[in-house]
Amino acid sequence: MSACVEIKNLYKTYHRRKWLFGAGEAVEVLKDVTLSLAENRVLGLVGESGCGKSTLCKVLLGIEKPTSGTVVVQGQEVAASTPAQLKKMRRVMQVIYQDPYGSLDPRMTVRQLLSEPLDIHKLYLDKHERNKFLEELVQAVGLSPEHLNRYPHEFSGGQRQRISIARALALDPHILVADEPVSALDVSVQAQILNLLRDIKRTRKLSVLFVTHDFAVARFLCDDIAVMYQGRIMEKAPAEQLLARPMHPYTQTLLSAVPEVGKALTSEPEEKASGPSTGTGCPFAPRCSKAKEVCRQQIPTLVETAPGHWCACACLTQGETNDLKS
Amino acid sequence: MSISPVLQVEDLHIDFQNDQKPLPVLRGLSYTLAAGRVLAVVGESGSGKTVHALSLLRLLPAAGRVSGGKILYKGENLLALCEKELRQVRGQKIAMIFQDPAASLNPVLTVGEQLTETLRAHRKLTKEQARQEAVKLLEKVGIADAEKRLDEYPFQFSGGMCQRVMIAMALALSPDILIADEPTTALDVTIQAQIIRLIKQLQEREKMAVIFITHNLALASQVADEVLVLYGGMCMEQAPAKELFSQPKHPYTQGLLASLASLKTRPERLPAIAGQPPVPGEIVTGCPFAPRCPRVKEKCRQSLPPLTKRGEHAVRCFWENKP
Repeated sequence: MSACVEIKNLYKTYHRRKWLFGAGEAVEVLKDVTLSLAENRVLGLVGESGCGKSTLCKVLLGIEKPTSGTVVVQGQEVAASTPAQLKKMRRVMQVIYQDPYGSLDPRMTVRQLLSEPLDIHKLYLDKHERNKFLEELVQAVGLSPEHLNRYPHEFSGGQRQRISIARALALDPHILVADEPVSALDVSVQAQILNLLRDIKRTRKLSVLFVTHDFAVARFLCDDIAVMYQGRIMEKAPAEQLLARPMHPYTQTLLSAVPEVGKALTSEPEEKASGPSTGTGCPFAPRCSKAKEVCRQQIPTLVETAPGHWCACACLTQGETNDLKS
Repeated sequence: MSISPVLQVEDLHIDFQNDQKPLPVLRGLSYTLAAGRVLAVVGESGSGKTVHALSLLRLLPAAGRVSGGKILYKGENLLALCEKELRQVRGQKIAMIFQDPAASLNPVLTVGEQLTETLRAHRKLTKEQARQEAVKLLEKVGIADAEKRLDEYPFQFSGGMCQRVMIAMALALSPDILIADEPTTALDVTIQAQIIRLIKQLQEREKMAVIFITHNLALASQVADEVLVLYGGMCMEQAPAKELFSQPKHPYTQGLLASLASLKTRPERLPAIAGQPPVPGEIVTGCPFAPRCPRVKEKCRQSLPPLTKRGEHAVRCFWENKP
């Protein structure tokens, strides 16, 4: 399994200015993130709002520059690339956003929306060839050729997300970054889009970074899952294994909170409300029921606890196990 | 077991005015809510679930209009009340919490000012008494350090904490009915679980009736005694929660339940419902679900199936008992 995206020790700090002329207050959004996206696999990045999932996508896509650390996409470092190299890279790596209402220009027809990336990269310039390509493209995402001449407002949310997917596929990329692509959709439409994503991943041999807050969705689509909390990766493992044997107390908390039909409301696992982080130690310690003194002082490192299963928890490095009480 | 109903909705119709043409968004909704019970109203966006909730408190936007039916609170028709009488109902008898807690609080007033405002508007309390009361309320919804946090502004509270404040405000006057309109949609799952537990606990302790509006079937299954499934402004199926989730009878409910991704299994494909949900207000003859229904027949497109009730389970489908 070769990796097509390698993220190593990535840090990203934003500066939040409280006053117009004041010095910024540094907010570390990503802390020491190391991840790799393997060829032809789907990596799920799961976490709650504000944990840094979307920032990671932005750094990966070259929209934001990392503070330190490296992102290497198919052998090329993103932050060190020239604009021309970035342009080339974007043929290979495309993105789908969460909000299908905000991510399509309302004044462009579907044909224009889908042609724009082709124009930028000077592809399919022959008119007939391009028409044929566009027709095949919309059919691949479950729309029909007559939809090409319509505007985004004429479509429902699910159809718009199909257009966004078609637009991302127009350049025939190898890597797809999907930032919460189904969260804004109605329940009865989510399943359609998830099926579509799975199909195109297979037929086009895509490697996908799939960002979501929904574990059930991640389980359906992902081969590997990484769990993020306050800018750090807490646990990463093959999806099946992570769900069967979650090691990190945070992953366990997250999983037990997912509502499911037939699952009774969990009784309060005496979880403390998120207290102020002391700045040192494990970011989850203020909420963790197993937190010890060492957790508040030292940041745990990711340790391989089973083949392919990495977890950052001090309790594990001390030779204890975090088995779920069954 | 017959418990006296606190709320009866009878054949409620709501239209929205659009270019002189009324668009029906709710078409004949009826249900009875017993004291101390939780009714979940489940539906997708545009199904009419929020509009229905707003109409219970007569808070419909200007374009919306109740065009028929009755809303009876303990036998009294809320639709016939004047503005002054309504003020006695809102908050005191029926209270509501909304989806976006941060946007529902006034950002320039402290949390304490907002809580005491509600208390003092309805009850004769001195400032000091109202403050004491407010502290108790915040403690009741699980906010630590209540005395101090009363003087903080909403921006100093996280989303989950804001929703707790909203719940405290809703409980301030001990209402009989709490309407919760997607109270956890804007929150993270761990916070969602906390808020749901809180609502459930308070509901049991205070013996409140709750109308829980959500698009999330799994959540509905966890909190509700009874579930009502809305689609295209109509009730498709209504049943006690256990029965609805173990034996869904309407093809829409069945399809929706089957299409949910689950933590337990990993199917090759999700059995999705084809097509798109209807546009709100679109006039359709026949069953609103017909264009997407796997069991559709000619009859479904031509006439609207009635809501037929067998025991406590009501279904709007012609073929409910036929293959």
